[in-house]
Amino acid sequence: MQQDNLSKNNFEQCLKCDLCTTVCPMKAVNPDYPGPKQAGPDGERYRIRDPRFYDLTLRFCLNCKRCEVACPSGVEVGDIIQTARIRYGKPAHALRNSFIANTDFVGSMASSCADTVNKLAGKSSVRSILNAFGIDKRRPLPEYASERFSKIFKPESQDGFARFLTFYHGCYVEYNHPSLGIDLIELLNVCGYGVRLLENEKCCGATFINNGLSARAKVNARANAASIRKALEAGSEDVVTTSATCTLTIRNDYEHLLGIETGDIRQHVMLATKWLFGKIDSGEIRLAFKEDWKGHYAYHTSCHMQMLGWQIYSIDLLKMIPGMRLDVLDQECCGIAGTFGYKKENYEYSQKIGEKLFGNIARTGAEVVVADCETCKWQIESGTGVKVLNTIEVLLDALDIQKTRELNR
Amino acid sequence: MKEYDVIIIGGGITGVGTARDCALRGLKTLLVERFDLTNGATGRNHGLLHSGARYAVTDKESAAECMAESRILCRIASNCVEQTDGLFVSLPEDGLEFQDTFVRSCQEAGIKAERLDPKETLELEPAVSPFLLGAVRVPDASIDPFRLTSANMLDATLHGAEVLTYHEVTSVLTENGSVVGVSLLDTRNGERFEARAAVTVNAAGVWSQRIAQLAGVDLEMSPTKGSLVIFGHRVNHMVINRCRKPSDADILVPGGPVSVLGTTGNKVPFEECDNIRVTAAEVETLLREGAKLAPVLLHTRVLRAYAGVRPLVSSSNDATGRSVSRGIVLLDHAQRDGLQGFITITGGKLTCYRLMAEQTTDLVCRKLNVKRKCLTAKLPLPGSEEHSKEPKSDSLGRKAAENRHGARVAQMNFSDKSEVLCGCEHVTRAEIEYAVNCLDVHNLIDLRRRTRVGMGTCQGSFCMAKVAKALAEALGCPEKADEFVRQYVSERWKGIMPVGWGESLREMELMRKKYGKL
Amino acid sequence: MKYDVVIIGGGLAGVTAGIRLQKAGRNCCIISGGLSLNDVPRQEFIALGGAFLTGGRVLGGVWNGDELESLVVSNLEGTGLRADNYILATGKFFSKGLVATMDNIYEPLFGCDVEFEPDRSKWYDPDFFAPQPFERFGVKTQDGRVLRDGVPMKNLYAAGEILAGDIDIVNSALDVCNRII
Repeated sequence: MQQDNLSKNNFEQCLKCDLCTTVCPMKAVNPDYPGPKQAGPDGERYRIRDPRFYDLTLRFCLNCKRCEVACPSGVEVGDIIQTARIRYGKPAHALRNSFIANTDFVGSMASSCADTVNKLAGKSSVRSILNAFGIDKRRPLPEYASERFSKIFKPESQDGFARFLTFYHGCYVEYNHPSLGIDLIELLNVCGYGVRLLENEKCCGATFINNGLSARAKVNARANAASIRKALEAGSEDVVTTSATCTLTIRNDYEHLLGIETGDIRQHVMLATKWLFGKIDSGEIRLAFKEDWKGHYAYHTSCHMQMLGWQIYSIDLLKMIPGMRLDVLDQECCGIAGTFGYKKENYEYSQKIGEKLFGNIARTGAEVVVADCETCKWQIESGTGVKVLNTIEVLLDALDIQKTRELNR
Repeated sequence: MKEYDVIIIGGGITGVGTARDCALRGLKTLLVERFDLTNGATGRNHGLLHSGARYAVTDKESAAECMAESRILCRIASNCVEQTDGLFVSLPEDGLEFQDTFVRSCQEAGIKAERLDPKETLELEPAVSPFLLGAVRVPDASIDPFRLTSANMLDATLHGAEVLTYHEVTSVLTENGSVVGVSLLDTRNGERFEARAAVTVNAAGVWSQRIAQLAGVDLEMSPTKGSLVIFGHRVNHMVINRCRKPSDADILVPGGPVSVLGTTGNKVPFEECDNIRVTAAEVETLLREGAKLAPVLLHTRVLRAYAGVRPLVSSSNDATGRSVSRGIVLLDHAQRDGLQGFITITGGKLTCYRLMAEQTTDLVCRKLNVKRKCLTAKLPLPGSEEHSKEPKSDSLGRKAAENRHGARVAQMNFSDKSEVLCGCEHVTRAEIEYAVNCLDVHNLIDLRRRTRVGMGTCQGSFCMAKVAKALAEALGCPEKADEFVRQYVSERWKGIMPVGWGESLREMELMRKKYGKL
Repeated sequence: MKYDVVIIGGGLAGVTAGIRLQKAGRNCCIISGGLSLNDVPRQEFIALGGAFLTGGRVLGGVWNGDELESLVVSNLEGTGLRADNYILATGKFFSKGLVATMDNIYEPLFGCDVEFEPDRSKWYDPDFFAPQPFERFGVKTQDGRVLRDGVPMKNLYAAGEILAGDIDIVNSALDVCNRII
């Protein structure tokens, strides 16, 4: 007998309280966007009857998942919208999207001639061409590293550790900022853990998903899931990451949106900060920091980090540093939403959305913003001029390496 | 005091359908209804357009009537009908013998009946119980009774008929053994006046008894209550019936974005007809039996419960009246009671309303010596005319409006009124204004019937305030917004209470928080 | 992860308690099912050094007799949430602090004793604008502590709308804080 009048159809649990709409960053700046409630559960009810009811304004959804965090009824609003886009959407600008979304391709091409690419990316003529192609010329383009992280990494250097972890490095570390990966490895080594890479790592697929290329996302997802499984079977304790978005995509989206099974591996994929905190909390690892290290930093919780709920780990780790003065920023969306903010038709919305966060950062007077998301980093740096570092980078910077090594022998 | 050719009492589908037929034949027509259109049985049923299969075994004549009429409605009311087809499902406890009788009876009545095995059935309609023994496919369909009535009313008024809602008949005027008109009370402002006509039609559904009394004749109705529940979304795409002798919770009908399950049946005293409540026991029966038919219902949100009263004529009267056909009761009181100028049309079913209206209007015309042919089977209703579907790029609000009003969507002003006010059903300001201008709307409850506002999963708890404001502005009385909300929320409350646990109780708490202080 | 007080629920009661306790020098964590609507108080709580957890749900508690040892939280896999004292401020039906089935009302996290009317037809008043009986259902407490099978739990308190009867949300939260401090 019907006991709890609770629908198994997630969208039906929506009570129309509209809390999701009040926290939607896009709704606040774009009157054409109906908001998560309407785009999600309201729309789904009609789309079930007839796919003709799919509304094109769904393309404005940032997939920030703030709606899901806010929902008191447990409705997976963001997923409902993404699934509808995958099922019924026919995105425009297919060529441009395909290009932007393919971070592995673009990354490997760009890093093979990084100096040239970086120089060209700064030229206004090139930016105008890209602008015509749909990439807003006001948006600063990411810089590419001349050597890919996976090439810099020397597996032999990790022999001799009794325990080891696997590092899912993601596209940012691989093509743009390998020093973050190097920092993480150093930190883990100092704590007594060796690091391995996945046998066949591919881009997590977040950009494919958001650009309507779910078939290609599935290819990457299957490959990554298989590689992760293999790494765990080979004895790796866990698979750690430095990007909240990659983590969320692998843990949630692979199953919810792509139908790829991850039940057996998802608990072992986590941010390095979560992993590290767990080890410290249980006493297995101890960290020692430089006595004279001082900093006034502000922590920014990326939207996907808030969805994971793991900002608390990064914050607590940072607070362990004796000389740290940490302002925890109230969570706001930075506006870039991955590839979203690079597109001409979206640029202005991105910037309007980010205004509040930029203002909050300025008001703290902090010298550095700490964030565990690379696109937030690019957005905040260009929006405020304040430097952005990953939590791992800050920890290593403040770490008393000698002492820590001794403590963890 | 105004003069008409014919006055029709009752704003259900029968009365409104008759008004349309009369108006199309050029008669000066007045329709009066004490509340809003569809307040009676018309607004409280399954929304099922019968193929007639359900009556084939016990009443082949009725069944054949339904078959013919449903074909006509599929044509002239295409915008109100979803041609879903239907299934008569045999569950283990039903056995398969009844199915044989059933199929034979359908064939004899001229209703297409195709036997299906369980596998085929589940492929067609996954919501059916996986334990079924077999099923029979028939041309049942889903019809929106509000849309249908609204369209009939619109056509009637477009052809000169006058429709007065919120006007109660306080007395039936008689002179020299003939009914000459009615005394009316405008229940909104207390105004009283008379309307006169050579013929008065009593189409007041179960309340025909009271109207007949006012005219001084006896008419005994046998009110039978039926309760139904509405589910949060459309779980089935074909009508699902139970293949057995008619009993409780036999039918699950997909209606727009929801599914409707019914019904229970028990006689009630006439006095209760104005205050029908669904009981907890009825809800439990419906959910328990319904789950046998479609197990998915156990995990689907129940939005509300409602009850209606079937206008069945007591059998003692049937014998004396001139029943045109079984089920439909058309009484010429001149012949039956020696009272001229007074006709009662009752009984029947929604599916056959057009036929009932035709028979009634034929009789009215005979009395008025008017020789005009009935056009209602030929002419499409407003909204059901041929038109091209809106392009994919249209806004959701516009698509939803087109889905509801068909070709009439062209009359709506979307250029600056496209703000969606009811999120569950995607009702825009443009649609609300159209309803106010063309569909006789006086309050939120009327508006709900014309546009589906508040019929979604939140039952209005989200949009009530915004919609009430837009409605009050459109009606030119912005100060009434709060009153509309109060009325509407009280009405919604009635329907949610019988299902007030789980998600619905959460919704109730939210509603109270939002509107409790008004 | 260890705190002095863990507050379950980021609504008005939870955040009020959090602020009061942080000011009294207690190290608090609020675990919130949604994003608390109370923007300014939440910001104040975080500025006072409180931890505000999102994205997870409390799945249950680990008990030692009538003392709550730690909470199991859905997204904090592996690390339980430990505190000396806990405050249950999860609200009523809307926020799922209480759950109603066809014939029963219960508190879903810990099975606390709930005061309610067993006959469902008496849960409502047909007049929408009248106070509704179900608005007064809630968790029973003794000295601010919840009861399980009639026994008060040592370190689990309740505040806010989850309480039975007519409650002043802010005062109920402050009252619990006073008991803890």
